[in-house]
Amino acid sequence: MTRVVESPPPVAARPAGYAVLRAGRCSVLLHRRAVVVAVVLAVLLAVTVVASLCLGQSYVSPGEVVRVLLGLPSPDELVVGTLRLPRLVTGLLVGAAFGLAGGLIQTVARNPLASPDVIGVTHGAGAATVAAMTFGVTSYAVLPYVSVAGGLGAALLVYLLAWRGGLHANRFVLIGIGISVALASLTRLFVTKGDYLVAQQAKVWLTGSLNGRGYDQAAPLATILLLLLPFLVWAARAQRGADFGDDTAVALGIRLGRVRLGLSALGVVLASAATAAAGPVDFVALLAPQIARRLTRTPHIPPVCSALMGALIVVVADLMARRLLSPLELPVGVFTAVVGAPYLMWLIVRSRARR
Amino acid sequence: MSAVTRRRVGWTAAALLLLLLAVLLSLAVGSRPVAPGAVWDALVHGGQSENAQVVRSLRVPRTVIGVLVGAALAVAGTVLQGITRNPIAEPGILGISQGASVGVVCAITFFGVHTLTGYVWYAFAGAGLAAVAIYAVAGSGRGGASPVKLALAGAAMNAFLASVVSGIVTTDARALDEFRFWDVGSISGRDLTIAGQVWPFLTVGLLLAFALARGLDALALGDDVARGLGRNVPLLRATGALSATLLTGAAVAAAGPIAFTGLAVPHIARALVGPAHRWLLPLAALLGPVMLLLADVLGRIVVRPSEVPVAVMTALAGVPFLVVLVRRKAVPAV
Repeated sequence: MTRVVESPPPVAARPAGYAVLRAGRCSVLLHRRAVVVAVVLAVLLAVTVVASLCLGQSYVSPGEVVRVLLGLPSPDELVVGTLRLPRLVTGLLVGAAFGLAGGLIQTVARNPLASPDVIGVTHGAGAATVAAMTFGVTSYAVLPYVSVAGGLGAALLVYLLAWRGGLHANRFVLIGIGISVALASLTRLFVTKGDYLVAQQAKVWLTGSLNGRGYDQAAPLATILLLLLPFLVWAARAQRGADFGDDTAVALGIRLGRVRLGLSALGVVLASAATAAAGPVDFVALLAPQIARRLTRTPHIPPVCSALMGALIVVVADLMARRLLSPLELPVGVFTAVVGAPYLMWLIVRSRARR
Repeated sequence: MSAVTRRRVGWTAAALLLLLLAVLLSLAVGSRPVAPGAVWDALVHGGQSENAQVVRSLRVPRTVIGVLVGAALAVAGTVLQGITRNPIAEPGILGISQGASVGVVCAITFFGVHTLTGYVWYAFAGAGLAAVAIYAVAGSGRGGASPVKLALAGAAMNAFLASVVSGIVTTDARALDEFRFWDVGSISGRDLTIAGQVWPFLTVGLLLAFALARGLDALALGDDVARGLGRNVPLLRATGALSATLLTGAAVAAAGPIAFTGLAVPHIARALVGPAHRWLLPLAALLGPVMLLLADVLGRIVVRPSEVPVAVMTALAGVPFLVVLVRRKAVPAV
């Protein structure tokens, strides 16, 4: 006698709030709200980009800006295409890189307080760059790589010093703050040591400003971002695994140590490359991923939205820095710090004894 | 005399000798080396040589201000560590110095105050506000003011206030020159009148701190025990905060923000004479100037002929202390 076991018909098993995108054998799990937020952010970013190109010492109408962006002939090509666009592109790339870097490092640390500026990466990149300038390396083709090396070195130093039979997140943050101060002091020392011209170049760079930045700085950063793209796709998937608690992740067969190492290395490289382009623009890496996560309400930090949010923050802050006290211009880092520092304090106020 | 007392007296005497040595080095070493004999000649016999002029007009004021500022910061650090019972409390790390610096910059830009006796009050106000804000932020939430929360709140405060300073400075280019002192802490280029103007404030701050010695000892045992010993804990904390604010504000008004002296010195002193504040505070007051002057001397010779501000050197010397402290202790969570 044969018994036919009635199995229930297969149900499309997918978590609530997600949509599955299939193309042949490949499928992508998309968080619906995250997609909506990404689209909204992209639209906002586009509006800010056009606004940022319109406003300045002279006003250019949005129509003309769009013409220039589309490559059509326009009387305002010099102002928009040559003067404002390169700076804007640098800002976009820097913001996106900081947003991604912050998201990666916060995921690894599983702590919203961790960010490349807090754990010494940006200051390491800064010290290495200024040191290189002092010893006669002034080409923007080489400096980004020096900066990345410096950022990685600083991260490694903090990691080794914080390691004591295990890595304690708080020890990591405290040592990161200390090493940041030491590296900032070292940077001062190099600035003093260099000749006058080097000191001038280093000081402009150290303020974290987009003033006078253009394709020379944007090109290496764009190259690094393109080279890292495959790794970023990997990171977007791996991030979800790393976000579980240690036990769950291990039970799921995730090689947690390697994943964390990969994610943090990626974050450090991104933050250092962005620092090389614009100097240390404080707090973008801290703010962007957390705002993005609050908007999307995803359990993990959404990478695409973080990048968009980072770009949006930098472009808006730069627009305000340029226009608020015009004709005077403030460094963009001043604005991001004025907004970001109170946010960090708010995080501290809300933090719990144990998470 | 018991062994402990002998040890304490011995270290205090040794610190005094070290201080004399540091003062001598600070007078003799620089971009123009001056022999100790010539220094003596300039100070005691009033020599008229060029060396004597350099010593009297440049190095003496610098050394005097270094001694005052070093003592102030070290005692402020000791008091802050005592009232918060937190090993990494320090005016620089907590952003109190940067608060004083914002006060000074505002006084110069918005209120047109240009004398030290005028803007020192703004420095006190800035330092006090920053101290209250930091403690309010770090002390709220579950777990109270843990070292990580204090350090993070301080880092945030420092970044915020530094950008406020740079924002104000950028908009007022005329006064930029006057601001350089408060951007990075340095004790060079000040004359003796500044020392003459800050010493009353420092004296009041120091006396207040020394008067608290017993109370701080009681507080080290915990709030409940201190209360049980008949101490008024809130009053104790408020007086301590007032003393630290006075000392930090006056030090910043004279030399700009200098971090890490107030962190390293109390820990060195505690390792030498133990935790009793009536020995700890005087030893910190002696060792603070030693650290500041030695850092300043080093700053004069590392990148000759230019000079590195003393704040840069104290930070480089002080960070290893923070690292060791953090590694040694089990740090409570945020």
